[in-house]
Amino acid sequence: MERVQCSYHSEDEAFKIGKETYRGQQYSQIYFARLHLMRTLLYSLVPHWKPNFPVCTVLGLEEGKECVIVGTLYKHMKLKPCILDEYSKERSVVPLVKSHNFMHPDDHLVLEDESGRVKLSGNPISPSEYVTGNVVALLGKESGAGDFLVLEVLDAGLPPQIEFPLKSREDKYVVIVSGLSVGSSNSNPLQVQLLIDHITGHLGDEKEQTIASQITHVVFAGNSVEIPRRLLNGQNSTSKDLSRMAESIKELDILLSQIAAGLTLDIMPGPSDPSNFSLPQQPLHRCLFPGSSQYNTFRSCTNPHCFELDNVRFLGTSGQNIDDLEKYSDAKDKLEFMERTLRWRHVAPTAPNTLGCYPYTDRDPFFIESCPHVYFVGNQDKYETRVIKGSEGQLVRLICVPKFSETGVAIMLNLRDLECHTLSFGTQLSS
Amino acid sequence: MSKNGSRKRAAPPSQPPPAKQPSMTQEEEFMDEDVFLDETLLSTDEESLILRDIEQRQSLATRLSKWTRPPLHADYVSQSRSVVFQQLEIDYVIGESHKDLLPNTSGPAAIIRIFGVTKEGHSVCCNVHGFEPYFYICCPPGMGPDDISHFHQTLEGRMREANRNSNVGKFVRRIEMVQRRSIMYYQQSNYQPFLKIVVALPTMVASCRGILDRGIQLDGLGMKSFLTYESNVLFALRFMIDCNVVGGNWIEVPAGKYKKTARSLSYCQLEFDCLYSELISNAPEGEYSKMAPFRILSFDIECAGRKGHFPEPTHDPVIQIANLVTLQGEDQPLIRNVMTLKSCSPIVGVDVMSFDTEREVLLAWRDFIREVDPDIIIGYNICKFDLPYLIERAVNLKIAEFPILGRIRNSRVRVKDTTFSSRQYGTRESKEVTVEGRVQFDLLQVMQRDYKLSSYSLNSVSAHFLSEQVTSSNPGMPLCLGHEKEDVHHSIISDLQNGNAETRRRLAVYCLKDAYLPQRLLDKLMFIYNYVEMARVTGVPISFLLSRGQSIKVLSQLLRKARQKNLVLPNVKQTGSEQGTFEGATGDQNNDDFPAPLANWALSLECDNAVLEARAGFYEKPIATLDFASLYPSIMMAYNLCYCTLVTPEDARKLNIPPESVNKTPSGETFVKSNLQKGILPEILEELLTARKRAKADLKLAKDPLEKAVLDGRQLALKISANSVYGFTGATVGQLPCLEISSSVTSYGRQMIEHTKKLVEDTFTTLNGYEHNAEVIYGDTDSVMVQFGVSSVEEAMNLGREAAEYISGTFTKPIKLEFEKVYFPYLLISKKRYAGLFWTRPDNFDKMDTKGIETVRRDNCLLVKNLVNDCLHKILIDRDIPGAVQYVKNAISDLLMNRMDLSLLVITKGLTKTGDDYEVKTAHVELAERMRKAYERSEDPIYVLENNIPIDPQYYLENQISKPILRIFEPILKNASKELLQGSHTRSISISTPSNSGILKFAKKQLTCIGCKALLSNGHHTLCSHCKGREAELYCKTVAQVSDLEILFGRLWTQCQECQGSLHQDVLCTSRDCPIFYRRKKAQKDMAEAKLQLDRWNF
Repeated sequence: MERVQCSYHSEDEAFKIGKETYRGQQYSQIYFARLHLMRTLLYSLVPHWKPNFPVCTVLGLEEGKECVIVGTLYKHMKLKPCILDEYSKERSVVPLVKSHNFMHPDDHLVLEDESGRVKLSGNPISPSEYVTGNVVALLGKESGAGDFLVLEVLDAGLPPQIEFPLKSREDKYVVIVSGLSVGSSNSNPLQVQLLIDHITGHLGDEKEQTIASQITHVVFAGNSVEIPRRLLNGQNSTSKDLSRMAESIKELDILLSQIAAGLTLDIMPGPSDPSNFSLPQQPLHRCLFPGSSQYNTFRSCTNPHCFELDNVRFLGTSGQNIDDLEKYSDAKDKLEFMERTLRWRHVAPTAPNTLGCYPYTDRDPFFIESCPHVYFVGNQDKYETRVIKGSEGQLVRLICVPKFSETGVAIMLNLRDLECHTLSFGTQLSS
Repeated sequence: MSKNGSRKRAAPPSQPPPAKQPSMTQEEEFMDEDVFLDETLLSTDEESLILRDIEQRQSLATRLSKWTRPPLHADYVSQSRSVVFQQLEIDYVIGESHKDLLPNTSGPAAIIRIFGVTKEGHSVCCNVHGFEPYFYICCPPGMGPDDISHFHQTLEGRMREANRNSNVGKFVRRIEMVQRRSIMYYQQSNYQPFLKIVVALPTMVASCRGILDRGIQLDGLGMKSFLTYESNVLFALRFMIDCNVVGGNWIEVPAGKYKKTARSLSYCQLEFDCLYSELISNAPEGEYSKMAPFRILSFDIECAGRKGHFPEPTHDPVIQIANLVTLQGEDQPLIRNVMTLKSCSPIVGVDVMSFDTEREVLLAWRDFIREVDPDIIIGYNICKFDLPYLIERAVNLKIAEFPILGRIRNSRVRVKDTTFSSRQYGTRESKEVTVEGRVQFDLLQVMQRDYKLSSYSLNSVSAHFLSEQVTSSNPGMPLCLGHEKEDVHHSIISDLQNGNAETRRRLAVYCLKDAYLPQRLLDKLMFIYNYVEMARVTGVPISFLLSRGQSIKVLSQLLRKARQKNLVLPNVKQTGSEQGTFEGATGDQNNDDFPAPLANWALSLECDNAVLEARAGFYEKPIATLDFASLYPSIMMAYNLCYCTLVTPEDARKLNIPPESVNKTPSGETFVKSNLQKGILPEILEELLTARKRAKADLKLAKDPLEKAVLDGRQLALKISANSVYGFTGATVGQLPCLEISSSVTSYGRQMIEHTKKLVEDTFTTLNGYEHNAEVIYGDTDSVMVQFGVSSVEEAMNLGREAAEYISGTFTKPIKLEFEKVYFPYLLISKKRYAGLFWTRPDNFDKMDTKGIETVRRDNCLLVKNLVNDCLHKILIDRDIPGAVQYVKNAISDLLMNRMDLSLLVITKGLTKTGDDYEVKTAHVELAERMRKAYERSEDPIYVLENNIPIDPQYYLENQISKPILRIFEPILKNASKELLQGSHTRSISISTPSNSGILKFAKKQLTCIGCKALLSNGHHTLCSHCKGREAELYCKTVAQVSDLEILFGRLWTQCQECQGSLHQDVLCTSRDCPIFYRRKKAQKDMAEAKLQLDRWNF
């Protein structure tokens, strides 16, 4: 049986940091760059949206006059953890309760442009939906109290999409898996081996092998290994600890080389991988994978990761962008967060405010210029998927990829029609 | 000096020089200074010049006019309504005596001016006529009523000689014979004849006193010198005492009793003349306890400094002035504006006024002050910086018409240098700017006076008091979203000013913030209520509270009380002894939970003689604390200790007082009991304490928050006042020292403590049926710590209550022992040094209480503070002694291994010494030294960081950490020093190499292996061949370091962005008080290094 092939094109260049260094630059530049990019875009949309209203800057506001303003949102949050508190304040006797969501009814939004800030009021803009770092256009007027009363909100909307390739009638599958967490206590080596064997076609009957042969590409969306942080942060980590850590990486390398021998794979770094912390996370170093990196089918990628397979455009992250949104805003499910990032045309709006990111000086790589066909987010609690439609006919498959080590679930996506299903692996013998 | 500068001097040339130059600052405090009204005013042609100038500025004036006060009601205009107003400021000027009101007098006279506000918000200037300065002398025996006129003539003659240049018609107005008695010593006879000498002008009191002090030739009596009585009372205070006016109370002038001034001299809406006898002074009760809606102006200026220099008015222009005007009792400001030099982009909710020249900025501000007519001017360091700067700047720019900021038309403000020294507050030099009719309230002075803080910058004070609320209450103000105030370095100010309208707007936002924060502090800390209540309780004008020491407050009360009883206070010659200047009294200091802004006033500086030996140790059984409630005041009341009850040893022999009517104090003094003579001090104290009880009771019932604020301020003021009476008697350079009283008080105090100890240890014994023998482990000035031996807090509380009740019964009333709290566990280090968990209820502890332990001292680095705090936390709350030991060891190891966060090591005290004073130049010296020269190098605090200057860990270990830590652990561990400061954790030391030191300039950098630090030979970039095999793990380690730094970097820099309140602008803040300032800088530097290290893998 022959494995199907497909064309691959990486779009990760924007996320590569390369030789850029920390030269004392701050975060204002990335906000500035973002505002600039987004404002040009929004200004082009405003004439269609509100042709009869003037466009103002925050400073140009006049009381009672309705107008459109564009700027970056800042959400003032009462409960947002503050690094100052943990430093010099009187230590409280009662330990602070750690919550996973920092929302509070008193939170409010402020719109900022280079000229100034104004507090926002009014129902159309909900502080629970937006986060610091969003760029939006607002229709409204300055109220007597100095607030800007918002009447309507305009997000950038889904970006333009390249045409979906229709010519292919052949089933080609892409497997997306995240959170293998090799080396963690949750990880079940047998389960992982089953996954590998399934992908490589060493499992099951002919029918199953046929399906396996249709797998053309595998994406590991973060947290492939788990490096216990304390081993590295500890002041005196012994060489024994270090070598134990190296063991799990070695194990992963062996697993990956089995796949790389048969088909192409992308490995993205996640929060628990031996990579940097800030987004964009840089590709895992080849020296970690002496075995698998020998194959030209092995590709170490950035996070976020953007690529095209047979002209189907993929965008994915290892989950940090959505997890962070969940801490600072509210939605009915994870897919809604994902949808919002697309409509905001920004992969990680909370970066740099609450999500670490590299202090870019002249650009904002997280701006989404071209709408992906498939948008996946790794390391989520459960599998969810949905297709959303844009106003210009864009179709996007959203996928929450669950943690494999906890669910035993990987995702199979058919490139032909973007249909998607799960592969579940269990090692419990059912009676 | 320029023409303008000299004219500012208020003292007219004709003023007689004081008889004797006062040598002590304390005395200077009590000098009147006559200001001649005519001399302060500008000449008429100058006046017309100003009027013309004002006309030109009409356009601005209309803008300002919308902020004027509410218009007067017709009843006021027709003078048919009584004027009732709350007075805030009382001063006096010398003017021509009022012809209508005082038809019988002529020539210059002192006119009292009372400035205040009615409840409708009208400003009032009330000129009070007819009150004359006077003092007393004891009538020499043999001088009859007939001799007085002769004495008068002689005195008048001597006065004329001494004041030759004066044009006063009559110096000594009259001399009356009155019946009075000296307050000093118990006297059996009731009253004696005294002479009341009334003089023409207030300064003549001092001059006349001088003559009488030195002696005067009297017919028939020969050369005789006199002891004067009450000749040291400031004229304004004299007026207040005699008219029963207390600071900040409501004064009523009935309709028909006042006359509108012929030519209005002030900018006040209501300006009138009246006789002092027509004033009705209302006690601050009921309706009259409220506050008038006075206008409070908070302002701040920005100056464009030159690089490397602190702004000087001779060079650097004033570029912005931000103002905030709030009505007392309102939570939102009435006016927010900023005046800028050159254009400035608008700010939402703020009136931005831009001008092309500095002259216009200054004049606009002057006009603003005049229109808004603030009653109180607040700000941060305004008295020492902002106000003098503006005035000196105007002198430099030759704007003669600028410094007319007071309420008197065309009267310039007066500037003088003053030194204020007091043992309690230390010596401070300052400039005093007198703005007539407006109270200045400098928040910096208040903070330094009332609170002990590690830093007094506005930045850190705001963070300390306002941190949780800065953001919420100002919707219209987009600038205060920050966590605390951002600090812009002065050298950046010029750059911002020289930029464009946007950068100047940024500057304006800072300036507004600096004007806003003092107002917030004022509100949050209830300063208006507390200070007005203090003025009401002690009876001095509000302005005295800030500018003068403690003793005037007690003096004011003493004078008031003495006046009721026809007693007079001698003006005792000061001995000049330097020891024992005014000491604050000790009170129930154990009430540490007291949210007391003014609590420090009652700081105990008392010597150790009233303290029991501390039995140091770590007590793991509950320790009950028995406290004497207001011990010293109680003693004075219980034993009737007063000036007028003191019997001199001589009198004791002579007077033949029955022994049952006297108390012999433990220090050997004799005081009569109250059946013979009730003391004045005990009476004052009784009133203060009863009033406090009442205020506290009312406070419980009060519902209105404003009423509560008043009452709370009052009970606090009463408490502090009661406690300062003792100190007044012990101040040898004070107004009326009486060491017999103060030493008796302390000796009684000691006796009480010992008595308590004995009684507790004798009563609570197993012999008497108790479970354990009680043991007194420590006794403070007014409390005794008892270990009853029981193990539960509840039992200890019961026994504590029982003991307090039982022992109280053995004391003379009102001395009372109270049981309030239990410490459990309790770490007693030595006297005045302890820590413990504080329980007032048996179910849960209230807090951790420490005394005398290095948690707040400002000359310690943060490391020590944190270390001590954390250790105490572990020992007392977690009860984990091994954990605490381990914690200390880890910290020491971190320090020696150079892993310590630099910001924890900064020592602030270095500012007082120059670098030469230190023997060894260690890094902290470098840090301190650099900071001292902060105005010469803008990036100094980071100097150490950037140049890798090695920190001397031994210095920190020996001079900073070891003592405080050992103090804590010695009562707990046997070999604390050996255990903590020696051992394996101290063996490994790492010191960074300075990048700028001499020898290293010649060193060649060579790459070393990341794994084993071996030098790399050609071809290898990252690892040596030996380590190649461990590549993966070594890479993980490097990348993990980068990862950690990235987390830190991101959190720190986004926090600073949040503080500055802007996402799109770079953070400029260089606040050294900010806890993350150094960390932020260090993270930036470490990040860059770590990234380079990581890049070495990508060859």
